Amino acid sequence: MDHILSVLVFFPAVAALLGFVVSKESIRVYGISVAAIEFLLSLWLWFSFDGSYPGMQFVEMLPLIPSFGISYYLGVDGISLFIVVLSTFITLIGLIALSIKKDIKNMIISLLFLEMTMVGVFVSLDAILFYVFWELSLVPMLYIIGAWGGNLRIYAAVKFFLYTFAGSLIMLVGMLVMAYLYYQATGVWSFSITEWHRLVLPFDYQIWLFIAFFIGLAIKIPMFPFHTWLPYAHGQAPTIGSVILAAVLLKMGTYGLVRLSLPMFPDASVYMITPVAILSLIMIIYTAMVAYAQEDMKQVVAYSSISHMGVIVLGTFAMNAEGIAGSVFFMLSHGIVSGALFMLVGVIYDRRHTKLMSEFGGLAKVMPRYATIMGIMVMASVGLPLTMSFVGEFLSLAGFYKVSPVMTILAGTSIILGAVYMLSLYRKSFFGDVVHEKNKNLKDLDAKESMALWSLVLVTIWLGVYPKPVLGPINTSVESLVSFMHKKSITEEAKEVIRPTVVEREAE
Amino acid sequence: MEAYLYTALFAPLVGSLFAALFADKPKNLVTGIATSTLLFVSWISSVVLLIHVSHGGSVHVEMMDWIQAGGLSIPFGFVVDQVSATMMFVVTTVSTVVHVYSIGYMDHDRSFNRFFAWLSAFVFSMMVLVMSDNFAGLFIGWEGVGLCSWALIGFWYERDSASWAASEAFIMNRIADLGMLIGIFLVYWNFGSLQYDVVFAQVDAMESTILMLVTAFLFIGAMGKSAQFPLHTWLADAMEGPTPVSALIHAATMVTAGVYLVIRANPLYSEVPEVSYFVACLGAFVAIFAASMALVNRDLKRIIAYSTLSQLGYMFVAAGLGAYWIALFHLMTHAFFKALLFLGAGNVMHAMNDELDIFKMGGLAKKMKWTMIMMTLASLALAGIYPFAGFFSKDKILEAAFATDHYILWATLWVTAGLTAFYSFRLVMLVFFGEERYKIFGFHPHEAYKYMLWAMAPLALLAVVAGFFEHDFVHLVSYVLPIEEYHVSTGVFWTLVAVTLGIAITGIAVAVIVYSRGGFSKKLEETFVYKLLFNQYYIPKLYNDFICKPYAELSKIFWKDLDLKVVDATVDFIAGTIYKSGMVSRVVQSGNLSNMLRWMGVGLLILLIAAIFYSPMR
Amino acid sequence: MITLSHYLIVSAILFCIGLVGVYRRKNLLLLLFSTEILLNAVNIGFAAVSKFYGDLTGQMFAFFIVAVAASEVAVGLGLFIVWYKRRGTLDVDSMQSMHG
Repeated sequence: MDHILSVLVFFPAVAALLGFVVSKESIRVYGISVAAIEFLLSLWLWFSFDGSYPGMQFVEMLPLIPSFGISYYLGVDGISLFIVVLSTFITLIGLIALSIKKDIKNMIISLLFLEMTMVGVFVSLDAILFYVFWELSLVPMLYIIGAWGGNLRIYAAVKFFLYTFAGSLIMLVGMLVMAYLYYQATGVWSFSITEWHRLVLPFDYQIWLFIAFFIGLAIKIPMFPFHTWLPYAHGQAPTIGSVILAAVLLKMGTYGLVRLSLPMFPDASVYMITPVAILSLIMIIYTAMVAYAQEDMKQVVAYSSISHMGVIVLGTFAMNAEGIAGSVFFMLSHGIVSGALFMLVGVIYDRRHTKLMSEFGGLAKVMPRYATIMGIMVMASVGLPLTMSFVGEFLSLAGFYKVSPVMTILAGTSIILGAVYMLSLYRKSFFGDVVHEKNKNLKDLDAKESMALWSLVLVTIWLGVYPKPVLGPINTSVESLVSFMHKKSITEEAKEVIRPTVVEREAE
Repeated sequence: MEAYLYTALFAPLVGSLFAALFADKPKNLVTGIATSTLLFVSWISSVVLLIHVSHGGSVHVEMMDWIQAGGLSIPFGFVVDQVSATMMFVVTTVSTVVHVYSIGYMDHDRSFNRFFAWLSAFVFSMMVLVMSDNFAGLFIGWEGVGLCSWALIGFWYERDSASWAASEAFIMNRIADLGMLIGIFLVYWNFGSLQYDVVFAQVDAMESTILMLVTAFLFIGAMGKSAQFPLHTWLADAMEGPTPVSALIHAATMVTAGVYLVIRANPLYSEVPEVSYFVACLGAFVAIFAASMALVNRDLKRIIAYSTLSQLGYMFVAAGLGAYWIALFHLMTHAFFKALLFLGAGNVMHAMNDELDIFKMGGLAKKMKWTMIMMTLASLALAGIYPFAGFFSKDKILEAAFATDHYILWATLWVTAGLTAFYSFRLVMLVFFGEERYKIFGFHPHEAYKYMLWAMAPLALLAVVAGFFEHDFVHLVSYVLPIEEYHVSTGVFWTLVAVTLGIAITGIAVAVIVYSRGGFSKKLEETFVYKLLFNQYYIPKLYNDFICKPYAELSKIFWKDLDLKVVDATVDFIAGTIYKSGMVSRVVQSGNLSNMLRWMGVGLLILLIAAIFYSPMR
Repeated sequence: MITLSHYLIVSAILFCIGLVGVYRRKNLLLLLFSTEILLNAVNIGFAAVSKFYGDLTGQMFAFFIVAVAASEVAVGLGLFIVWYKRRGTLDVDSMQSMHG
């Protein structure tokens, strides 16, 4: 399978087109099987991936517009591989747990289309291709929020679309400037990201380009103060929309930081550590506090997910292998855990059509299995060791400690504040007595919900106990990234901060 | 030996998972018996390991890799040396007893199976904590016991106070865990590893500021778990949990984890006298502070909880003074008699339908002879009366304080010893002797099941005899811990013993005499000091008013006023401005032909002028 | 002697007359006339410049414009008649249904 990546990208899209002729009764099964095949393909990708080789693998290259150096250029390394697997996994899980009845055909087709764009973003190595998939991913999400959302769905969908779109336009300008600079330096046009990595830019160019890229990425992440679209989007989106939004779409932003900003502008990145870290800190603490004030379960999860994204950004800007590998791993665990939490909130919303915590209480008694999974996921979100999040959070913070101890202590408050809002959510909704008559006869999880949720629990614990199969390849690529950045950087300060790991591999 | 190590470690986990399978099913005696049996297996393995290491050597295994990123490499490694073997022995002994006891205690509970799942999970986490060979592994256990303590304090989650106390305990511990985490980061970036042996081997070469920071941050972690001031409030509230939980977690094992950490990291602490001295001072302060609150409390379990707190203070004094083995020794004896005391309290609660106010009891000795005997034994041990276990360990601590010239610490602890004796016997007197007040309130007390009493018997035995193993113990731990001989002259030594015993006996005598005559006068309750002590120095209220409430308020302000009205409003304002500018300029598109022609004319004119002025021909 | 300038001045005057017509008139028919005047003003300019420089392209263009203007008038007048039949007026101000 030489073209595994192309297959991965376009299989769901083709399947989505074919989905139009599938009858309404069988579309569910069809969607799940397509997603399952896609997931198996991505697993195959993982197993045939060489974890000890740090560079790009399964590379595909086909010139599209040779005169401008735009080509169809795909490849994965340890950093992107697992986000691809995460995307296909979450799509599959989301489809299994899908509880929507209205226009289910359109929903499944848009989900499959969304899957194409997600995989596309993470495997593209050409900036234009990357940008195309990046923007295309907005369309199905806009439709999902706008068509199946709550009362404010149009407002939320438009806000989501325009906000992120505006940001990515600035990033597009950055890309064009970058291509032009590359042309000036080498005399050839190229939009290949790997080529761009090699281009050493003067410091002031780096700063401006860094800012241009950063705005686009920051809105997607979403960094404070660009985060306000997210609570609306989550609040209005149907469960499946929130799951995919939180689990995968937000990762595009942080992935972009690792893939584009750091290796392209190492000096600017080092220069910008402090401002970025301050934004992240505000994001961590402030949104954690806002999460505590929420009355709606889903909003708590939404704000908590922003807060955790702050730790991911912080880990990325640690500029050492521990921090970056940790933040990439945290992206995965955040995907699994926040995806699961949104799904869990969806479960109760399907039964009661409300998400207000005051409407619940004592659910542990009525729905013990549901409460158990929620408990596990709450603890995972809080970052308890032996869950996946701990590994990511620990490494991210450990990495950033090298940069600034004080800021790490401040960022570390996320483990306290996280416990505060998550436990208060759990206490309000699951503990206590059953006060509302309607809650007395709620059904516990049914088969499809259990299946979807338990598989997420299994992954959370498995990778918490034994993260090596995933962390190993990530670490290999990240280490080479760090040493690459170290070599490439031009300022003394950057050389000082970006320290490649000294590993005596040969000695062993 | 590795097989024993794995058995000791994983038997509780297997039990826990087994019981968890039945968690939402009705009571099933099998879960209780299976978990207890597996714990017994774990206990046997621990004893085998203890015997194995008692002549030197240690068992060290590396199970598998855990986290590997950059230069950081953390394995799942376990080490059984003399210190961890002692801890394993203590943990498995107390938890086996508590498991068997709980089969009776939780007899009528709806969530019998769930209880055992969590209780065994706790033991597993505790074993990870004590057996781990690196700081990260310790942290796994550290958080694991926190989780189990959360679940067990909030075991009766229908009760609002229980779920509140559970959250409080977890969050308080988390605050301390942050300190611990920072300590771990410091260790990693300065020592390059988290393995104990690697770290401790480099201590000599390390700057003292770094050592100071490391030990200080690690101690913050210890303060949370061991409920030292100012993070102590959760321990008293944790008494909302079932009593066996209090016995196991909040008396014998988990709360001593902080002391264990200091003992484990003794090569670090012994290098930084400043921090160690602070540890000792804080310990002494907590000892007397907690004892004073225990004096006036009316709640059976809270009194014991404060006494636990006070004894933890003793342990920290010992550890802070560099007498690590004494701290460990006191940890061990304390685990036995305090667990016994709690289990006895559990019997009383059973008899009294979960009534906790000791002023509603009295005269229970007639109905509950054996419970009374065992609780009195435990109280004697707690008060430090010869020949019970507490005498040996507590006396050593006082001796260490005196011999190292810390007279203020010594005096504090000496006074505390008197207070301890007083409140212990105040409790015993009010519960078991005197007027039978329970009749007024309509209780029908009865003795606990036979096998519950039998289950407590080993602890009673240990509470009595553990002290006599002092020399064996010293020999055992001398392989890993520094044993300092304190040189005080024989005369001084005997004087110290006499003085300490004297104040303890005085305390007991005062309690016995006063309470057999009906207690102090009611007027005492009007005094300021009484109120201060009874309200726990108003600290919980302070925390509530100055931390919890402002935090909630601030969160609301951040959300409603800042996030919605400033940040989001700015975004909407920008969008709105763009939208409005469109609304304003739409009038241009009037659709009127002549208007448009005019605009065209204007445009043409502008272009003409531009063409003239910017013509390249000029 | 009539020089190029004279032709161009005539052309400019005609253009201005057309422009004023375009600006001031409200009747569609007259608007059309005015645009024709504009076009013819341009035509004069083209023809004159073409003659002056001896390049036939200009005259060719003038013819082109005449042809286009003729077809324009044909189509335009047809539309006006239809419009007049429907609305009974050719006032420009009455046609604003396409406003923003």
